[in-house]
Amino acid sequence: MNFFLDGFEQAWELISSRDPFLMHLLRITLQVVAISTGAALLLGLPIGLALGLGRFRGRGGLVVLANAGLGLPPVVIGLILALLMFPQAPLGRFDLLFTLKGVYIAQTCLALPVVVALTISAVRELAPGLLDQARAFGAGPFAMARLALREARIGVLAATIAAVGSGLSEVGAIVLVGGNIRGYDQTLATAALESVGAGRYAEGMAIGIILLGLIVVISGLLTWLQYGRVRYQRGWSAS
Amino acid sequence: MSLVALTDVVVRRGRRDVVRGVSMTIDRGETVAVLGPNGAGKSTLLEAVGGVLPIARGSLSVDGRAASVLQTPGLARRSVRANVELALAWWGVPRRQRRARGMEALEQLRAAHLAKRDARSLSGGERRRVHVARGLALRPDLLLLDEPFAGLDPETRAVLCEDTSSALRQEAGGVLVVVHDRAEAWALADRLVVMMDGSIEASGTPGALLAAPQSAQVARFLGYDGELRRGDSSTLTRPAHVLIEPAGDLPATVTRVVPQQDGVRVELELADGVLRAWYPEPGLAPGDRVRVRLVGGVSFPAP
Repeated sequence: MNFFLDGFEQAWELISSRDPFLMHLLRITLQVVAISTGAALLLGLPIGLALGLGRFRGRGGLVVLANAGLGLPPVVIGLILALLMFPQAPLGRFDLLFTLKGVYIAQTCLALPVVVALTISAVRELAPGLLDQARAFGAGPFAMARLALREARIGVLAATIAAVGSGLSEVGAIVLVGGNIRGYDQTLATAALESVGAGRYAEGMAIGIILLGLIVVISGLLTWLQYGRVRYQRGWSAS
Repeated sequence: MSLVALTDVVVRRGRRDVVRGVSMTIDRGETVAVLGPNGAGKSTLLEAVGGVLPIARGSLSVDGRAASVLQTPGLARRSVRANVELALAWWGVPRRQRRARGMEALEQLRAAHLAKRDARSLSGGERRRVHVARGLALRPDLLLLDEPFAGLDPETRAVLCEDTSSALRQEAGGVLVVVHDRAEAWALADRLVVMMDGSIEASGTPGALLAAPQSAQVARFLGYDGELRRGDSSTLTRPAHVLIEPAGDLPATVTRVVPQQDGVRVELELADGVLRAWYPEPGLAPGDRVRVRLVGGVSFPAP
């Protein structure tokens, strides 16, 4: 139990003293999450819409691929990306290995299938006939996409929450690509991993507690966005 | 020039010709109802005119923009008014005009009181009402309605049909409406087109069609449910043509009696066929012998 108590104590100390090391970890973590989630949404929403609503050959296979992507092992993705980023490898000339940019790319690769797969299932649940009706009333592709995203916003926000969650707690790919460099591209999760690896359990616990708190706060905010404002739907009828 | 002109239009679904050589026109301000049994190709014709399905052969011209009100009333998760305004936005109506035009259409269909309700809280009838109002709000040159009252209970159906009918009469554009029920066709249409098996079997004003159907098949479809064979011709009748009265010239036997709200529907067997009639008083029973007189009906050569 000592580790837990020490962990809480250290966590409180780090927070109350606004420890510069902790502040840096927080900043990097939020930066990685924001950039990778943003990029995954930017790329993933159009792909998810196209796969969820489009009618074209090979769509079924791509949907299976996206769903399989939900279970991508981060370590394998990290390893593949790291190998590709080695100086002599195809991505070598971009100098991405052991940099923050590399970390953003690795995390985006992990978040993208999550966004695509969850967007597909969200837009497939739309009221039947709504999009056909929009088309019949002259809606262009842009207006249709806006309508679909707005109608499926609960599912789209679920995709966002999942992407944010994966970004906050990811270690495998980030460590392999970023090198887990203290004070540079280390995030809360990878810092906790390093502390535990070095036998500093209480410190690991402290960082872990802060990370959990951050996850609760961010997920709470997104959940509020997802459901908090739609309370008027209580008068729902079956017909 | 007609608003819509179809010449020998053929429409295919898969490998099957569903609409086979249809020619017709619709003028501005005219409401044309397409009536026919299931699988006659009515909805397919509507989709082709609306530009959803390509035509395989023939020519089709629409002078202006057509808006289709599909059979499924797909409404977005937002208020009724926002739904109507959204449709106006898709149609390209400037933002300033949307509120007024939307409310006007809702008022026309007596749905203004629903404006602030969440679309998901509407009953089936209310959804249909809003769905049709949304199409009217666009004021298209040609409005296409696909079974606008499908799936409603008879009362809601009748009331909505009445309101739609009066709203359509104020329209400047043309309307092509597919209906399943004869009563709806009568209430809505200036002109009626009877479609069977992919082709137009008859067309004309509802009154003219009913008075003089072009073929026995069309007559039966329009409610001619009695038939007498006389030599090489057969006479078809509707209940309104068959009077049960002591001075009638034809003897008949009552074979079935179905009570109605005011009176009974009676099935009668005669020497040369079966007639159906309506009788205002209860009291007839199967087996009774009565006399009938025919006041109308149409004759065709027997097949």
